[in-house]
Amino acid sequence: MTDESGAELWKEHQSAFDRVRAVAVTISEPKPADWIAEQAHVAGNTARDHLQRLVEMNVLRTATGGTATRYEPDPLYTRMQALRDLLDNRDRDALLELRGDLQEQVEEWQTEYDADSPSGLRERAAHVDTAEATREMRRTANDWDIITYRLELVEDAIEHYSDYAGSTPAPA
Amino acid sequence: MFAFDGGYDPGQASHTVLLELRRTIERHPAVQHASGEPPGQFIRVVATLDPAILGSEADEGTLTLRWYAGEAADTDPEFAFHYSESSGFDCGWHHEPNPHVDGWAHYQERLSADDEYEYEAVSFDSLQPVPLLWGILDRLETRLTDR
Repeated sequence: MTDESGAELWKEHQSAFDRVRAVAVTISEPKPADWIAEQAHVAGNTARDHLQRLVEMNVLRTATGGTATRYEPDPLYTRMQALRDLLDNRDRDALLELRGDLQEQVEEWQTEYDADSPSGLRERAAHVDTAEATREMRRTANDWDIITYRLELVEDAIEHYSDYAGSTPAPA
Repeated sequence: MFAFDGGYDPGQASHTVLLELRRTIERHPAVQHASGEPPGQFIRVVATLDPAILGSEADEGTLTLRWYAGEAADTDPEFAFHYSESSGFDCGWHHEPNPHVDGWAHYQERLSADDEYEYEAVSFDSLQPVPLLWGILDRLETRLTDR
């Protein structure tokens, strides 16, 4: 089964620029323009033009080393997008509450699995009796990795709230 | 994905993908709304769909997206794109360890929550989240229309 008609559907609803951006901001390792072009279903030269613009906008940056230019998400942009999402519709009190919820979730997992981190849980998962329990624990470890990152973002947002929200917090 | 210190952070990589999936899925005409769930945690994306646009007669449908980018930058992602609707039918395209097929990639469906899932090995042209999403939205429409 090929996904050719999926590509047509995508092209119908997102522009070449949006497709290049969507592929490039979600890669885990630096990739050359031709690779990104293939994934985004655009011509190589089109991809190079859009990638250059995205570098100028600080969405992407170029990676050093290797022969062809490779692109990767700019870590500052990635961070800013995640903070923006967190700060939309949330004031400082809501962030404090969210921090409490996330911490509580982590503590629940720590107690339930007697593990202090996602990698600790993965280790335990490798030594349980049933394959099903292993899969469930690995899935929880995956969620835990995401929650750990969210918690770090929330801490950042709380610490720099007035800078990020562009307002002075109300007096306590 | 790249943490501030230049290292790979699986939580950051996964969450970045989930944010992008939420953004892009709203471009599909069947999607009425997409949000990070549970609220605040954002470990998956849930999209509310109009099933009629996808060829189903059900009144309500949702597509739930899970994505884990992998423990290292060069490991394959684990993910699930799972559709369920008010008729009771649910189905999904998954890429994760499972006892049902050889390999990670499979499709599963059942007519209602009381039925057993049927599993089928599948392949994906790309394991990149956004191209994959559109490929799966297309397969979903095909499946719901043929049913």
